[in-house]
Amino acid sequence: MKIIRLEFLKLKKKTRTWLGPVLVFWLMMIAYPLTVEFLQEKLEVGFFSVLWIAILISMMLATEDIFLEDFNDGTLEQIMIKTSSFSTLVSVKILTYWIFVGIPISILSFIFSFGTTEDLALSLMIFPLSIISSYIFLNLFVMGNALSLNKGSVLGALVTMPLALPVLIVLGKSIIAIQLSINYLGFIFLLLGCLSIIIVTVPLVVSYIIKAHLE
Amino acid sequence: MFEFAFNSFYEAIYMNGHGIYVWSVLAIVCLSLLVFFTLYSSKIKQIKKKLNEPN
Amino acid sequence: MIKKFIHQFASPKTYLFQVNKFYNYIFFISVFIYISSITWGLLFTPEDFVQGNSFRIIYLHVPASFISQSLYAAMAVSSIVYLVWRVKLAAYLVIAIAPIGAMTTFIALISGSIWGIPTWGTWWQWDARITSTLILFIMYLGLISFHNSFSNYEKADKLLSWLVIVGAVNIPIIKKSVDWWSTLHQSASITLTNKPSIDPSMLYPLIGSIIGFFGLILCLVLLSSKNQILIREKTKSWIKDYV
Repeated sequence: MKIIRLEFLKLKKKTRTWLGPVLVFWLMMIAYPLTVEFLQEKLEVGFFSVLWIAILISMMLATEDIFLEDFNDGTLEQIMIKTSSFSTLVSVKILTYWIFVGIPISILSFIFSFGTTEDLALSLMIFPLSIISSYIFLNLFVMGNALSLNKGSVLGALVTMPLALPVLIVLGKSIIAIQLSINYLGFIFLLLGCLSIIIVTVPLVVSYIIKAHLE
Repeated sequence: MFEFAFNSFYEAIYMNGHGIYVWSVLAIVCLSLLVFFTLYSSKIKQIKKKLNEPN
Repeated sequence: MIKKFIHQFASPKTYLFQVNKFYNYIFFISVFIYISSITWGLLFTPEDFVQGNSFRIIYLHVPASFISQSLYAAMAVSSIVYLVWRVKLAAYLVIAIAPIGAMTTFIALISGSIWGIPTWGTWWQWDARITSTLILFIMYLGLISFHNSFSNYEKADKLLSWLVIVGAVNIPIIKKSVDWWSTLHQSASITLTNKPSIDPSMLYPLIGSIIGFFGLILCLVLLSSKNQILIREKTKSWIKDYV
């Protein structure tokens, strides 16, 4: 509990880190209807693709310097020596980021989805999808950023984004499932299955990666 | 099993209009292999040459 | 016992001498098998009833596609060997395989696209297997650029190995994508469990072309790893004797 509170407070102070990606997401969602002005009546056609990509990019931005500050000032080294379970710390960090960035973005997804499609049932179904996918993307980009710790976030994104693409495919298919009223829950469980594997493995892998950086 | 599948050399090249696809793929495969073999062989030669140079 | 075996036979020095001993045999046998299988497949197999002569691209596309995925699996195994047993040679192999994997994936993509024109009427389709292969290609390029961005080789090797292992999740997705998602792409003609859905007169040259291409790619991997060893071990005294 102490670690959670500490990470919570640390992130709360770094307004740019959590507010920035949320605002970028907001701007991207505003930019979408502006760029397809001539299609105003058919906005929902491409809306969901833009939504998933916007979530993906926002999560990439959110994790940009997740370990960098701690790495540069030696905090990571200290934590590594002191804390027996480094992976717990990583999980807590990801959870905090998800609470600060993932949940607000999911709420915004619901609002924008409702605003664009005017379909409450559909928008309510989008909410759990964005909640789960944002957590998955966060985990993946955290790993990418751990890999390219002091080499810039582009490199990390480059190597981990291919792993996120299958999730995007599933998200795309789940929209079709919602529209055709078939097997929506199946897709939710598929994403939850992926998440449960990722949630366990990513913190472990990240802790090994950071150890490799510090050695 | 080992019968020539075409009636003439021209037919084998043309392949009922599909020859352009088949032979271009063959050219790409051969070219890629050739480039990589040449590249690595020359790299190895260069390193060996450098290592042989007196310091 | 495994550890002892690995350390005995996987020292860069032993490996390099073994490569020099067997390289020519593997190379010439592979060239012979590949050329004869390709000639058999392109000129001596009967025309396909549905696809016509364009089906002959199978002898060039399938080996590349099969090996592009196998090379990633080989990288994953090498990464595990490196991280678990700290075998340097395994780390050299990981980075040696990456460009060759990228090349075979590129061949698979291009040949598939060209094959798609007469067969599907389009050179590209955002179909599951094609997209996954494109992802694999980008991953190979990502791995190469990732490794090159570090000046400290040892750190780069470790991080790259982790990345390869994590990326290995993508391989079963590629394999299963055809069954999971609706696709234009046909299912595999040869599987380990079922009887091949391809006629023997077409099957034998296909197997030959896979073996031949595998041999040639193995030769490339041997050359590339030799190159890596020469770069990374250049300060060792035995390298001077070797050269």
